[in-house]
Amino acid sequence: MTSLEIENVYAAYDKADVLEGVTLTVAPGRITCLLGSNGSGKTTLIRAILGLTPPRAGTIRFGGATLSGLPTHKVIAAGIACIPEGRKVFTKLTVEENLRLGAYQEASAAAVAERLGRAYEIFPQLAERRAQLAGTMSGGEQAMVSIGRGLMSAPKLLLIDEPSLGLSPRLVKENFSIIRRINEQGITVFLVEQNVHQTLAIAHYGYVLSQGRVVASGSAEALARDAAVQRAYFG
Amino acid sequence: MDAGLLAQFVANGLMLGMMYALVAVGFTLFFGVLDVIKFSHGDVLTVGAFTGYSTYLGLKLLGVANPWLQVAAVVIVACAAMALLGALIAKYIVMPLKGAPALNVLLITLMLGTVLRESVRLFYPDGANPKRFPRLLPTDAVALGSFNLRLDSVLLFLGGLAVIVAIHVLINRTKLGLAIRAVAQDEETAKTMGINFTLVVLVTFAIGSAAAAFAGVMNGLYYNEINFGMGLWLGVIGFSAAIVGGLGNIYGAILGGFLFAALQTVGAVALPFASAYKDVFAFAAVIAIMAWRPTGLIAERTSERV
Repeated sequence: MTSLEIENVYAAYDKADVLEGVTLTVAPGRITCLLGSNGSGKTTLIRAILGLTPPRAGTIRFGGATLSGLPTHKVIAAGIACIPEGRKVFTKLTVEENLRLGAYQEASAAAVAERLGRAYEIFPQLAERRAQLAGTMSGGEQAMVSIGRGLMSAPKLLLIDEPSLGLSPRLVKENFSIIRRINEQGITVFLVEQNVHQTLAIAHYGYVLSQGRVVASGSAEALARDAAVQRAYFG
Repeated sequence: MDAGLLAQFVANGLMLGMMYALVAVGFTLFFGVLDVIKFSHGDVLTVGAFTGYSTYLGLKLLGVANPWLQVAAVVIVACAAMALLGALIAKYIVMPLKGAPALNVLLITLMLGTVLRESVRLFYPDGANPKRFPRLLPTDAVALGSFNLRLDSVLLFLGGLAVIVAIHVLINRTKLGLAIRAVAQDEETAKTMGINFTLVVLVTFAIGSAAAAFAGVMNGLYYNEINFGMGLWLGVIGFSAAIVGGLGNIYGAILGGFLFAALQTVGAVALPFASAYKDVFAFAAVIAIMAWRPTGLIAERTSERV
């Protein structure tokens, strides 16, 4: 089991979303969440981990190997996958092509076929629509494609960025229960969210980010009672 | 006009259409993966044709006389060398300009095209004068009334068709093609799928440039003449074809290539004073089409590329 260690990271994606010395650890096998309002630096942190916005200073390590400075495809090769904010399905590719892209680095056709089967087991609706263009599907179905795609590489660590964004309360609930099941199968989850209550309900541990700094951390139960969490959002 | 002459025009139009389509596919692929217009593309075609010609001269020196062997070597060396040149241009000139305004890329590749073209003129032995490209393919002809269908034309057309089909299969049926389509749609998300973005861009530029080299050799074998300016003209037409078809869509590029050739042919057949006005007619028609459909015939739907 490997943990993700972020140490004193400084990075800037755009002017509003800046990291100023973030240190946190995503423990193996658990759901760690990062809470924060818009512009607190959440998106920049995900981008820094993925190598899309290389950090200006600080290090990011995964299971002892340094990720900071690597190009994105090598970060993915280390066993990390991402379910991006806004789902980001390839709208002009079919459902199955989207899923296959999730397993792009898997050389074994048998492994890809097996994982495709598993994704269709989790989301039977996708199996019926495997040849449909992803862009013609509803938001909820696109979320399924995005989650299924994130699982296709059989990652050790799954980064999930704002899964509740733009979904109905019912779908949000469904998605969160799927995230919990993914974690129960042994995949480490780093969940970035604004939705405090539902996130803390499934997470084991959490950090609160405000203006680019970690302002609170603790077990999910402790954070749920913590006034700093309230302040980070409303004050 | 008699049927034989008309058939001759149509056959010539099809051959030109194939060459234009091969060039246009390159423009559209480059635009797909990198959102750039690479104006040195036509001059890469010229360098490809001269590389093919040099290969032929080298084989003659070595005493290789079998024309089939010569054709195979000319095509393979020209395509491989231009694939490498295309990838080098992408790596050292186009990729470093990523994030720069599109106009800068356009300007710099325009300059690069001039450098390539003038280098052929100045440094290739007697490069300022046209070269006689050898007839390497069998010229047996079947007489169909007053129209002679020559075997070399048929073979050239089939060769071009094979290249287009190969590119279609590569883009739509292979893992590399899937990666190219993913990068064309959403570069960052493609990266997070584990796709090596730089590699995909280099390979795409290699494929497009090899297709241009094929068009250059095809042009040489068909007209039996090459010159340092040939690619400039083919590049302008290929670019127009890609735009008319809908930049970013390979089927649009192919359609645009054949459409442009058809316009030229109609211009040559239907207008008085024959061929003198065929290009004026074709480009005027292109302007009219662009006014009617500003995004091209097969418009790029929202974010579709390639």
